[in-house]
Amino acid sequence: MTSRSGPLKRLLGLVWTHRGECVLIIFLQVLILSLAMGGLALSGVGIDVIRHELDPAAPTARFPFGFALPALHGMPLVGFVAGLILALAIIRLGFNIFYTRRVADLVQGRIVVDLRNGLYEKLQRLDFRFFDANASGALINRLTGDVQSVRLFVDGVVIQSAIMAISLGVYLIYMLNIHIGLTLACLAATPLLLVVSVAFSRIVRPRYLDHRRRVDRLVLWLTETVRGITVIKAFAQESMARERFEAANDSVREQQFAIHRVLSFYAPSVNGITQINLVILLAYGGWLVIHNEVALGSGLVVFAGILQQFSGQIASIATIMNSAQQSIAAAERIFEVIDEPAAIASGPDARPLTTSTGRIVFDDVTFAYGPGLPPALDHVTFTAEPGQFVGIIGPTGAGKSTLLSLIPRFYDPDSGEIRIDDLNVRDLDLGDLRHRIGLVFQESFLFSATIAENIAFGHPAASRDEIERAARTAAADLFIEALRDGYDSRLHEGGVSLSGGQRQRLALARAVLSDPAILILDDPTAAVDTETEREILKGIERARRGRTVFIATHRLAALRGASLLISLDAGRVVQIGTPGELAAAPGYYRTLLQLERDDDV
Amino acid sequence: MSEPPEPRQRPLDFRLVARLFGYTIKYRGLRNALTVLVLLRSIQIPALAWGIGAIINGPVASGDTRGLWLAIAAYSAFAIVTEIGFHYRSKLALRLGDLVMHDQRAEVFRHLMRMPMAFYHETKLGRIISRITSDIEAIRVGVQDVFFVTIVQLGQMIVSGILMFLYEPALFLLVAGIGPILWFLTRYFQTRIGENLRSMQESFSRVTSNVAESISGIRVTQGFSREAINASIFRGLVADHSRYNIGAARTTGVFFPLLELNAQLFIALLLVVGGWRAMDQSIAMPVNDLVLFFFLANLFFQPIQVIGNQYNAALTAMAGAERLFSLLDTPPQWSDAEDATVIDRIDGRVEFRSVTFGYAAGDPVLKEVSFIAEPGQTIALVGHTGSGKSSIINLVAKFYLAQRGAVEIDGRDIKTITGDSIHRQMGIVQQHNFLFTGTVRENICLCQPSATDADIEAVCNRLGCLDEIRSIGLGTSVTEQGAGISLGQRQLVCIARAMLADPRILILDEATSAVDTFTERRIQRALGTLLQGRTSFVVAHRLSTIRNADLVLVLDHGRIIESGTHFELLLGGGTYARLYREFLRGE
Repeated sequence: MTSRSGPLKRLLGLVWTHRGECVLIIFLQVLILSLAMGGLALSGVGIDVIRHELDPAAPTARFPFGFALPALHGMPLVGFVAGLILALAIIRLGFNIFYTRRVADLVQGRIVVDLRNGLYEKLQRLDFRFFDANASGALINRLTGDVQSVRLFVDGVVIQSAIMAISLGVYLIYMLNIHIGLTLACLAATPLLLVVSVAFSRIVRPRYLDHRRRVDRLVLWLTETVRGITVIKAFAQESMARERFEAANDSVREQQFAIHRVLSFYAPSVNGITQINLVILLAYGGWLVIHNEVALGSGLVVFAGILQQFSGQIASIATIMNSAQQSIAAAERIFEVIDEPAAIASGPDARPLTTSTGRIVFDDVTFAYGPGLPPALDHVTFTAEPGQFVGIIGPTGAGKSTLLSLIPRFYDPDSGEIRIDDLNVRDLDLGDLRHRIGLVFQESFLFSATIAENIAFGHPAASRDEIERAARTAAADLFIEALRDGYDSRLHEGGVSLSGGQRQRLALARAVLSDPAILILDDPTAAVDTETEREILKGIERARRGRTVFIATHRLAALRGASLLISLDAGRVVQIGTPGELAAAPGYYRTLLQLERDDDV
Repeated sequence: MSEPPEPRQRPLDFRLVARLFGYTIKYRGLRNALTVLVLLRSIQIPALAWGIGAIINGPVASGDTRGLWLAIAAYSAFAIVTEIGFHYRSKLALRLGDLVMHDQRAEVFRHLMRMPMAFYHETKLGRIISRITSDIEAIRVGVQDVFFVTIVQLGQMIVSGILMFLYEPALFLLVAGIGPILWFLTRYFQTRIGENLRSMQESFSRVTSNVAESISGIRVTQGFSREAINASIFRGLVADHSRYNIGAARTTGVFFPLLELNAQLFIALLLVVGGWRAMDQSIAMPVNDLVLFFFLANLFFQPIQVIGNQYNAALTAMAGAERLFSLLDTPPQWSDAEDATVIDRIDGRVEFRSVTFGYAAGDPVLKEVSFIAEPGQTIALVGHTGSGKSSIINLVAKFYLAQRGAVEIDGRDIKTITGDSIHRQMGIVQQHNFLFTGTVRENICLCQPSATDADIEAVCNRLGCLDEIRSIGLGTSVTEQGAGISLGQRQLVCIARAMLADPRILILDEATSAVDTFTERRIQRALGTLLQGRTSFVVAHRLSTIRNADLVLVLDHGRIIESGTHFELLLGGGTYARLYREFLRGE
């Protein structure tokens, strides 16, 4: 995949992949257009036939392009023409239905599906740095709106412009065939149409973007007011909230006024230009009919019909141009994701890791979240032996979470290496590595699914027995069984809502389901009260047996039973040792202990 | 998290229409001018079409060159007037839409601000947002288009019908005969397209919520190596959505060609019947009338489809209006009594007199709770989750009203005091605190917008957390959760915010649970001085706070089972003493 080529080139590449289908679709549309032209021409011929029958002085009816009429007269001839009109219309109906199906199958059935699936799979493999840098709303948009904008390039830009070019050509040839002078005269004002519609879209588009931003602000403020209603009410800020909303609301209205002032000139201008064409047609065309140079039906009436179609096509150029801009912008955003290298992946000759003793070595590890940022971990070295309970302590921002997130390779260190059972984690199969590790985060994310499905998240094939065993290990079995639907209770979507402590124990059950050798607990009691903390710790105490466990925390209670403490400050290891050793030397841990003692004596 | 979808349309309802019409009364000049323009336009459009036919029929067919020029001049002048009218018609309609939309949004928000806390617990945010976005947008279309466009189209249909009838009644009957076919065709397909659209939207919202969840849960997904399974679930949803999408496209793909076929059928019939009537010596219809029919018949048919669309838009607007009005008509479960008055300066005496309270009827969470907090006292609330601590706080803050018994502030029943005047003298810090998008400074100054940086720093200094606030930076912007500042830092900002308000009653609900031990320690020390002179209610796990409280209330299942000072309760040897011992062992 060429990562640096422009979005337009990539879009054209997308069209090229589906070139056969595109050509077929364009060909179908040309057929449909020709049939429509035929119908229109025939209705003109019909009028001329009747006129000629009634008044032999009127010019004889002729098929366009010199096709001969059958040797009929009177009603049979009229009937023949009418039948032909109907026949063409029915054939056109068939083609039309076929056409929309092909377009829908290509665009919605293949292009959109492929793009969405490709993007989704890519997103899942991107590393945490990417998600740190991109707001989730923007990523959701890429999979929803942007994908549709990109496919618009195929049907709304490429296919549409081909159809437009061809149909304008067909109309033009047909009109020229009727009368060259009349054609040129009638189309004299048409370029104005193009100028007007392009000018309008230039003026209005940026204003619409601005409008969108203003509406977003309005909705954002409403959202925040509702989510923060306790704060608004508690601080008696209702009038402030109202004023802010009204300011946003007024600004939306003003912008709408401005857009609509401009917009209300658009349709009348386009109509006006079409009227100019029509007036020229009536004047010059009428004069030509009077002088018998053009037939009334197949000439003047048909001409008026075509002129309408022609104007419509010209005005749609602006739409096509807008679509093109829109899809290029969307393509840029989509290909940015697709081209984003998945920095963390299994190497080509990654080694499997089917079992692990749980011995972990940090060897001079340094890591920063971005170039130019101060290191979050600075030459960190330590060894955790199998079965050890390792507490990582230190003030906020010391690097506790960062240290933990390097073990399952959510990030790779800038220098130094991390080894599991003396193997560099980078050389291991990523899936295997992560399967050997159980994870619990600060605030655990549970999915809209049943409790059993959430526990079996990493191993959907797990049996109910295994799930229940995991729940028991995490001390989650009692509250789950107390729920009406037990393990089959659904979370979210009108299902049960769990307390913070229950959620964390569920997360713990999820983490221990596959019996991992290593358990990583990233401040699992950060956002909970003491009582809940005790519930969670009870689960942890059971779950940690027989595993190497890492816990990052600032709560002493969570460190009970730890066999190794690592005290971090500004990314450096400042102290390391058993709790006893750390309690004996001045430092973070001892201060913690003293604070607790002061508190309780 | 998808919810059961709300109906997209509902039948026309005159009461809703009348109420919507009410929104235009304020702008009646605009509305009336628009109505006049629209009526004019419904005559102008068929007049223009007739003009073309008449020119071709008259001067052109009869070869009158001079007549042709005159007719064309007249036609041009009329066309110019029509287009100018069109400009004003569009402008006024859009403006009317803008105005009504604005007024309705403002009304919704004003109404929301009057709703008590319970409303927000029961109502999903997504629903409120769709009220001010999609529902009001649907109503806008109803107000600015449906009525006026229908007038234009109906007028156009009637005028062109009359013209055709005047020329050739028999031929007009043919036209009129096709009308109903077209109407049923249109209705049938629009219903089907509507159904398709709904399944499409539903399948799409499944895709979107799956994407949203996948992205929020990406860390878990990667941590548990579940990428492949998630991808296959997603592929299923996308395929499902694509199927509905194609289905909708196919239905439309049959409908429009059928309409065209119908138009061609009409032309063929017109030729045959018209030709026969022209050529039959006994009737001898002028052939030029046939030409006129080609132009006028279009004007007669077009409105059927347009009105069909407008009818759909009207049904959608009805559904929107129904939901909007049901929100606006939901009375606040309670609001300040009419004779409630402002309390100027709260002394701080808070009394609960046999208060019984529940969030749902018949399910009390507080039972016969009575206690007195003297001005300046610190009240500690102790008890398990669900024992009623938060409910007491909710009642003190007048977020809810007690069902039985009385809550009094300074000897006045809280029902006789305006909520606003209580809130202005109250500060609250909770475990999960909400920060608004903006800077740290703006968040701290929420209720004191005029406070200077020096004021903020003075408060932080007294709290003993100036360093932390400085290291966060007053100008740092607070964004989506996770980004910007940490959980503990958020709590600090909220504590500073409450302190800057210089409240008479202070509520601290697990206010320091997420800050690290050192910071917490410093805040705890500072709180000692800060709580002085204010009545405060504290839910905390720190024993020091509880120990220094003037009154400890031990709650269990909504009842106060013990109350007194820390030492009294310890000596009493009850639940508190037991909890305390557990606690000591725990730490």
